[in-house]
Amino acid sequence: MTDLSVQREGMPVIDRSRLIFWGVAILTAVLVISPLAPIIVQAFLDRPLYMSDAGLTLDNFARLFREAGMLGIFLNTLYFAVLTMAVAQVFGAVMAVIIGRTNLPGRQWIGEIFVWPLFVSNLVIAFGWFTMYGPSGFITLAVRSWIGVEPWNLYSLTGMGVVAGLSQAPLAYLMCLGAVTKADAQLESAARSVGAGPFRALWSVTVPMMRPALIYSAVLNFVIGIEMLAIPLLFGGPSGIQTVTTFLYDQGINAAVRPEYGIVGAAAIILLMLVAFLVWLQGFLMKGSGRFVTVRGKASRPSVLDLGRWRWALFALVFAFVFLTIIAIFAGIFLRSAVTFLTPLVPFWKLLTTANFEMIFSSANYVRSIVNSVVIALVGGLIGTAFVALIALVARRSEFRFARPLEYLALFPRALPGIIAGLGFFYAVVWVPGLDLIRGTIWILMLAFILRYIPIGFGAIAPALSQVGDELDKGARIAGADWLTTVSRIVLPILKPALFSCFALLFIHFFKEYVTAAFLFQPGSEIIGTTMLQLVAQGDNGPVSALATIQVIITAVFVFLARRLLGARIYG
Amino acid sequence: MADLVLDHLTIQYGDVKAVDDVSISVASGEFLTLLGPSGCGKSTTLFSIAGLNKATSGSIRMGDKVLFDGATNTFVPPEHRNIGLVFQSYALWPHMTVAENLAFPLKLRRLGKTERDERIAEALKLVEMTRYADRYPYELSGGQQQRVALARALVYRPSLLLLDEPLSNLDAKLRERARVWLRELQERLNVTTIYVTHDQAEALAVSDRIAVMSMGHLRQLGTPKEIYERPADSFVADFIGSSNFLAGRMVQQEASHAVVELKNGTRLRTAPGQARSDGSLVVAIRPERIEIVPELCENSFLAEIGTGTYLGSIYQYHVTIADTELRIQTARELPPGPVHLRIPPEATAVYAEAPGEY
Ligand SMILES: Nc1ncnc2c1ncn2[C@@H]1O[C@H](COP(=O)(O)OP(=O)(O)OP(=O)(O)O)[C@@H](O)[C@H]1O
Ligand SMILES: [Mg+2]
Repeated sequence: MTDLSVQREGMPVIDRSRLIFWGVAILTAVLVISPLAPIIVQAFLDRPLYMSDAGLTLDNFARLFREAGMLGIFLNTLYFAVLTMAVAQVFGAVMAVIIGRTNLPGRQWIGEIFVWPLFVSNLVIAFGWFTMYGPSGFITLAVRSWIGVEPWNLYSLTGMGVVAGLSQAPLAYLMCLGAVTKADAQLESAARSVGAGPFRALWSVTVPMMRPALIYSAVLNFVIGIEMLAIPLLFGGPSGIQTVTTFLYDQGINAAVRPEYGIVGAAAIILLMLVAFLVWLQGFLMKGSGRFVTVRGKASRPSVLDLGRWRWALFALVFAFVFLTIIAIFAGIFLRSAVTFLTPLVPFWKLLTTANFEMIFSSANYVRSIVNSVVIALVGGLIGTAFVALIALVARRSEFRFARPLEYLALFPRALPGIIAGLGFFYAVVWVPGLDLIRGTIWILMLAFILRYIPIGFGAIAPALSQVGDELDKGARIAGADWLTTVSRIVLPILKPALFSCFALLFIHFFKEYVTAAFLFQPGSEIIGTTMLQLVAQGDNGPVSALATIQVIITAVFVFLARRLLGARIYG
Repeated sequence: MADLVLDHLTIQYGDVKAVDDVSISVASGEFLTLLGPSGCGKSTTLFSIAGLNKATSGSIRMGDKVLFDGATNTFVPPEHRNIGLVFQSYALWPHMTVAENLAFPLKLRRLGKTERDERIAEALKLVEMTRYADRYPYELSGGQQQRVALARALVYRPSLLLLDEPLSNLDAKLRERARVWLRELQERLNVTTIYVTHDQAEALAVSDRIAVMSMGHLRQLGTPKEIYERPADSFVADFIGSSNFLAGRMVQQEASHAVVELKNGTRLRTAPGQARSDGSLVVAIRPERIEIVPELCENSFLAEIGTGTYLGSIYQYHVTIADTELRIQTARELPPGPVHLRIPPEATAVYAEAPGEY
């Protein structure tokens, strides 16, 4: 019989599991604190924080509010975010009911197309809208030549809000879809049995069940509206409409002559507090949503509503909507990349060119930005998945004393807007001696991206983890395995599908990211997103669309492979 | 193999004491059952022996090895205890075949491949599952999974085997066969075993001794016969088998017997026992011990046969004696109507507290 040595707690036994607990916790804390600390410090300093004679002051906040138009900027941000949220929630929820519960023809593929915008950045979407619906956009010109007036103005706060809302609708859609399709069919049957018609049953039983999903995604979309850079930058720039993010971006990037570090820090803090409050509010609103829990162990399939003779009419409506707001946007980008200029007045096949792509592939900078993007997404995705998995395992499946605090810490980046994370890491590398080493490399980008998307990865792994009964770990422990062996031999192999999904999600997010990188990249570490930002600023629409096309194609190939080969679940 | 000793073990969650000052010692090779209603702290006790939860105070020792001691803050992690544990849900690792499930603990103990294979074959043979070595857990029936779980817990020859309601997922027939088989296996291997169940028939059938628990307390520790025939208190009397309870007060207390006055004034001769300070008590009598007599005599009552239930091998009837409804069990069917019932004094037990009063 194997004799086993007895360990006593009194003696300092360094076991490897404990090392990992502390290692993961400390690393997470360092990651979360490194962008936050410098921003907070900077906001209260009268000079850039790397200067040794900087003194404490509150003047930054005072100057921020004295700044001309500051109030307007905050109001713009609020209006834009509210509109983004409202549009996203309405379209998302309606589409969820239509796709999830009716017999609309082709609802399978319409649903798939509807989530496309989630795979690409807002920058690409914004550029697509600009190409089709901008003041000299393809569809705008076509409509003007037909009816004589321009029926819309994209370069307005409302225009921006609608575009942002439509690009965020898939998020609301996915969450509501989960709620309506998983709703226990028996609940609706019960309503039917007491005399409600099918639509009445849907409206009074199932639609209220979407409430938690609606609330949750509403706050999420509001936060995304507040921290969104691309759409306000592209559409607000020409007409001089500023939001907090474009203000931060302009002050931090473009004001090279007069870098207003103090004001930027102060504005960043206000933004941070606002977002943190919203994330807290989200948690608060979601409390007690247990009574809306609709998922039961043996839920039968919800019944499908027969639209009857409205089937094809509704199909026409939904298809037109999806065509005009999604297909046309992507088509516009592809088309624009293949022509010298895009106009409804000349048939596009007379303007075909490969010049845009040639320009991308002949420039070392542009090629490097593509390579960097792929490397960051792949390597960062792998490292991120490993790190997030460890966090989830320590937080949920270990005897670590600070397991709960670790989870809160790891989920904090939800409240950290990308632009602030970027700015914070930018300050950190300037400020902290030694970090100079990774300044301007793709490693700092990877670090910032990983931090920012820990919650996304966690969201992919945690639910799967709670499906794995904890007696499986206990069985391994009692059979003689320590914590590390247990998780690596028992829990992780069972979690494999969730790990693949986590990796795929992180890959997509890293690959499309641009905001967080805006302050962090330098020549040599540019990524597709930052290069596109620069090209957009210069008005080089041909290369922008070529780059966007390349990004979309790589993403599509990746999603296809990830679903096929890894069986990853990415947005349904 | 060594004795296992739980000494004043207390396990607290918040302000709930899931296990409250429990002391048990289990002899080497013994089959001890923890029995009690749901939520009484059986699993909590078992898991603290395994090291899967940490007790609040007291100690757990196996031979001269201290597994847990609240006073010195000693805690041996589960993987260093060399204990076998079978979970109610079996907890077979779904991504490993039966053989791989058994191999895992052996690999952790760094056994060579040949010895490993030998031991796996031996363990599978023991549970009659040799044919299924290459199956995955989901390809097995519940009963087969339960055997594999047992084989996995035995394959590394643990010094102690813990079983948490291992048979509760099986159907009644299979459960009865499995418990006989389990007991035979345990005797053959002579492995010290602690078995958790809330099924009293199972406990009575397989155990050397039974520890009856309720709300974290150890109520009685004894052989099945002791527990059944001499319940230490009315909770045990009620939980094991079943008992009728007649409330009354003490009239006369002797060394050999007692006389109790029931609520309606009738007097009853009973076994000796203790009453509360105000004289109130309950008399417990098992339904099958109530006799039907041809005419009134001492300790007998005239009663009316009420509704009956056919329980398969016996009949159970509700009758009313001294304003209290009782159950009686008989081997043959009784015609409705009046009957004389006798409560034999030697079949009674007297307790100060009624079963619900703890
Ligand atoms: N981790 C925990 N946190 C808080 N309370 C707990 C925890 N584990 C057990 N308890 C409580 O301790 C008590 C005993 O639980 P235990 O699981 O030991 O019961 P049991 O006797 O095994 O019951 P069953 O037959 O239902 O399995 C219960 O009241 C339970 O709610
Ligand atoms: Mg239990």
